[in-house]
Amino acid sequence: MSFSIKKQGEVVVVDVEGQLIVGNRQELKQKVLDELEKGEKKFLIDFSQTGYIDSSGLGVLVSLSKKIREQGGELRLANLNVDLQTLFELTKLDTLFQISDTRERALESF
Amino acid sequence: MKELEAVLIAFREGTHCEAGVWGGGEGRAAPTAIARSSAKVQMPDVLPGEPGQSVPGNFGTQLVTRVHSVRKVWLTVGPCDPGHTPEDRHVNLLMPVVAQFMKAALEVEHAATELGERYEEINLLYTIGEILGRTVTLEEAATTILTEISETVGARVASILVHDPATNTLNAVAALGVPTSQIPPISAADPTSVSARVFRTQHPLIVIGKGVTFGTESPYGRGEMLSVPIMWTTPSGGQPLGVVNLADRRSRQPFSAGDQKLVTAIATQIGTAIQNAKLVLASLDQQRLQQEMSLAHDLQMKLLPATNVVAPEAEVTARVVPAESVGGDFYQLFKMRDGGTGVMIGDVSGHGYRAALIMALAMSASAIHAQITASPGAMLGALTNSLREELEQTEMFISVFYGVVDPPNGTLTYANTGHPHAFVVSQEGTVTRLAAGNPPLGMTDDTPAAATLGWEKGKDLLVLFTDGISDARNAADERLGEERVMETIVEHREKKTSVILDEVFAMLGRHTRGIPSRDDLTLVVLRS
Repeated sequence: MSFSIKKQGEVVVVDVEGQLIVGNRQELKQKVLDELEKGEKKFLIDFSQTGYIDSSGLGVLVSLSKKIREQGGELRLANLNVDLQTLFELTKLDTLFQISDTRERALESF
Repeated sequence: MKELEAVLIAFREGTHCEAGVWGGGEGRAAPTAIARSSAKVQMPDVLPGEPGQSVPGNFGTQLVTRVHSVRKVWLTVGPCDPGHTPEDRHVNLLMPVVAQFMKAALEVEHAATELGERYEEINLLYTIGEILGRTVTLEEAATTILTEISETVGARVASILVHDPATNTLNAVAALGVPTSQIPPISAADPTSVSARVFRTQHPLIVIGKGVTFGTESPYGRGEMLSVPIMWTTPSGGQPLGVVNLADRRSRQPFSAGDQKLVTAIATQIGTAIQNAKLVLASLDQQRLQQEMSLAHDLQMKLLPATNVVAPEAEVTARVVPAESVGGDFYQLFKMRDGGTGVMIGDVSGHGYRAALIMALAMSASAIHAQITASPGAMLGALTNSLREELEQTEMFISVFYGVVDPPNGTLTYANTGHPHAFVVSQEGTVTRLAAGNPPLGMTDDTPAAATLGWEKGKDLLVLFTDGISDARNAADERLGEERVMETIVEHREKKTSVILDEVFAMLGRHTRGIPSRDDLTLVVLRS
């Protein structure tokens, strides 16, 4: 379980490897907030290597999305696997985020 | 000294001269006879150093010589039988024999003393082992241990200081020769303190008395001092817990390497005792915590309504199994006017105490709103308003399904905020998902939308469960999946709701095979 952060153009891209759960959600949150504090505005979280997100992981995504919006920025998600996509649809979370199938499409959409 | 006496008697027979061996007492005490050839031999008035000298006496002249290489032992030859005088050659003859004998005798004496000391040390270690074995708290044992050590090494002042990680100070738990209250806490970082240095370096220190300033220990660090770290040794290495200090030696001699070794051995035992005492306390705390958690579990289960509150209009079976002693899953049942039944299932994000607190708030707020708000959408909207502040502060949210079954009118009206698993199963086995219209409570400020569909009185089943059930993992980390839950329910749909619920949990048990659940599990089945 780890997060890697890199910058592609103007967008901060975060890769979540493994799981986003109660045990590591604060680490993700802090990493993204640190970038936000540095003045970054555009964020993409890529879940292509993510197997599972638990409810506290979802909570962090919602809270990050709010905080980024408050600073005039945008958060987008990409590469949700079928299970995660179903979870987002069933819980109507898909209405709260801009979700793209691929990283390229997400980057283009900013 | 019978053997030496025999030598001297043989000497007299051969030389016609008496002989005696004299040894000095401790300190300034006068020398006494160690062996002599007969009682006629008297101690000479003068005991010279080497070389020997002739001393006149009442019975004749004696040649007095100090015995080589043995401290404070003299050989006298004379007086002699008439016609004989003591001669240097007599002395030269006897001297090597006496010297050899005395050296051997002294070695035996030293060995005996050494043995005596080792015995005392072994006895001390044994005693301390026994003291520590009998007691639970260190304070009880510390003073007794200090008394035993200071007796053995002859120290008038002794103290045991234990490190407090919270303040990073060494604090006296026991002291001898000085009141514990006169030993102020010593900062472990104190550069002048002997104890602090020993604690930091984890190495014992022998301080030779003269001209040393003891820093913080000056009130009690008189004369010589021996300071030894108290260590707790673990497989991953040693950890210092405190310091044993001994000072002001009766003999005024510096502490020896042997003393240091002995006190180090005792300090290790004290270290084990300190650690044991900590573990006992931690274990008691743990027991208390477990009792409180089990109490909290019981309390939380009592918040959930009995399923017969909605009887006879509705037949409901529900079960909540928290992953920890308390959890964030809940259900709620309301008897509505005109034969209707309100049923709610909720899953607070996360689990444990924080989730349980939000759950309790949601339970009580929903009970109030359900009485005054007929529409499920408006009811969940009111619930959001009640919990908004709490949810925002804690960054938590709740997925909630709330439905009102109205058999007389043949309808089910529901609002679903982010709850993924809500279904109606018809008598024919058709499964209809009651999808969420909005994200979970706490994520948005939208007013939850409501929907209505038909309800077959006494035939349709309302099935609600949380993702703890569908996400339950087996040993190979495979999810149980929503489909298998619904297949089981469809298969047993015409049985009593309690049977359906048992079948689902039995199937879940066959899947997980004892792997503990990481999320709360909740299932509600209703027929009305």
